[in-house]
Amino acid sequence: MIAMRLVTAAFAAFVALPLLWLVYAAFIPAEALVRANLATFGFSLENFAALRGTGLWRAMAVSFTATGLAVAGQLAFGLGAAYAIRNGLRLLALVMLLLALPSELLLVPLYRQLQTMALIDTLGALVVPFLASPLVVFLLLQGLRRVPWEVIEAARLDGAGEVTIVRSVVAPILRPELTASAVLAFAAHWNLVLYPRIMTSEPLWTVQAFLTELLRTRAFEWGLLGAAALVASLPLIVLYVFFEKRIIEVFESGFRS
Amino acid sequence: MIRGVRTRAHLLALPATLVFAVFSLLPLLSVLRFATWRWSGTTDPLPVGAANLVRLLSDEALWASLGTTALFAAMALPAFLTLSLVIALAIEGVRYERAIKALLFAPGLITVGGSAIAWYLLYNPDFGLIPELTGLVLPWTSQPWAALIYVVLFTLWQQTGYGVLVTSAALRGIPRDVKEAARVDGATEGEVRRLIVLPMLGPTMLFLTIIGTVFSLQSYTAVYLLTRGGPFGSTRVLGYYLYETAFERYQLGYGAAITLFVLVITLVVAYLQARVLARRGASEATT
Repeated sequence: MIAMRLVTAAFAAFVALPLLWLVYAAFIPAEALVRANLATFGFSLENFAALRGTGLWRAMAVSFTATGLAVAGQLAFGLGAAYAIRNGLRLLALVMLLLALPSELLLVPLYRQLQTMALIDTLGALVVPFLASPLVVFLLLQGLRRVPWEVIEAARLDGAGEVTIVRSVVAPILRPELTASAVLAFAAHWNLVLYPRIMTSEPLWTVQAFLTELLRTRAFEWGLLGAAALVASLPLIVLYVFFEKRIIEVFESGFRS
Repeated sequence: MIRGVRTRAHLLALPATLVFAVFSLLPLLSVLRFATWRWSGTTDPLPVGAANLVRLLSDEALWASLGTTALFAAMALPAFLTLSLVIALAIEGVRYERAIKALLFAPGLITVGGSAIAWYLLYNPDFGLIPELTGLVLPWTSQPWAALIYVVLFTLWQQTGYGVLVTSAALRGIPRDVKEAARVDGATEGEVRRLIVLPMLGPTMLFLTIIGTVFSLQSYTAVYLLTRGGPFGSTRVLGYYLYETAFERYQLGYGAAITLFVLVITLVVAYLQARVLARRGASEATT
């Protein structure tokens, strides 16, 4: 047991180090580069000023727009799909199949698909294919098992339509699952790297596409890289700090069965 | 009336189903057709029959990258499973359980591009913080073996939290009274773990093994961010070779053929694993 605890502690330190460094590296003073030594400790905000004109803020705006639209779609459509499955629609097998199929693998046929739909190099390329997610459907379906069916039957007897039931009966009960799904979906979309690089070009680059380019073209401006990395990660860090408990609970209960 | 309500409820799945059909299923099926094309992505495709599939067989770079992928999986997968199991067991019921889980799960969510930059500034052999401070250098920019280890470490850093969460969820699913009964019968904690907990985790470990294998065979964002397949092709895993062929050498038709190859390999390997592991589980249960 002691050996197992030691392994855990060592691994936790290994995980924490790059995270702490991600936060600190944004504030590396310029002397570090002059002395050619990253172990120059200090605190400076100049790196953030240097970000102006690099295109990072533009990329952030693109990412926020695309990710926001995709997440909204995934929640709305996912809720509908999960509710339909709970009402006996046989769609679960498809959802499980897609869950095991990463979009990274299907880049070639997806490229053709977007091409025939004239979506290449449009905001639509970043949004439309991501309007539904199998993981969100799966997590919401797990949550729906908690909903007592009498509540829904009662709403139906009162003459409520199905859309109304989903919106004003089911959605409020599923708030924990919806929150966790929203954060996971946000992270998944925000973190797409190769997809946006392939399907869109410069003015529509997302933060990830921007970061990979920055790492390639300005590999030795450490402070600038550190600041860009922190700014790009900040929305996820904030979301995670706020909703970490809920995410982990929903994720664990989704995989208990 | 009941039937009408059901139909209307089923209709709510229409938007999601449409998205899945157009952007996942259709592309998945049309890989077969695209694999018979010579196509650069911008020009009109030219049908070439089975030429791409024949080329797969004699493509040395493809088989080399399959070898690299196998090596990657052979290094990453056992470490991933062991760490997931050891950590989940070690933190069960500990005061810091939640904090540790939150920490371990964080890298999987926090920007991949940002993480790649943090690793680059931390572990770069020429100027990284760790080599500067400790003198410990992993020469991943120049040595093939070190590059592969570097990608494995980054992957473990990103994904182990997921494995811990899944294992920990399964641990909680084990009924308390089963363990209690064994303790009452005089079993030590070590015996309870070895004879009751571990066997009951079998299905979870199988699940993680298969997910991990599928992931190793198909994902390559880490390689793209860290090493771009180098040095000397030492980290060119299957997925990355697929990406390179299609979108850097603009051979999308042949890229579709490679996609097909990866899909078939994945199915075969996952099926074999499920069978072997399920059979081993069954024989252990009977002895």
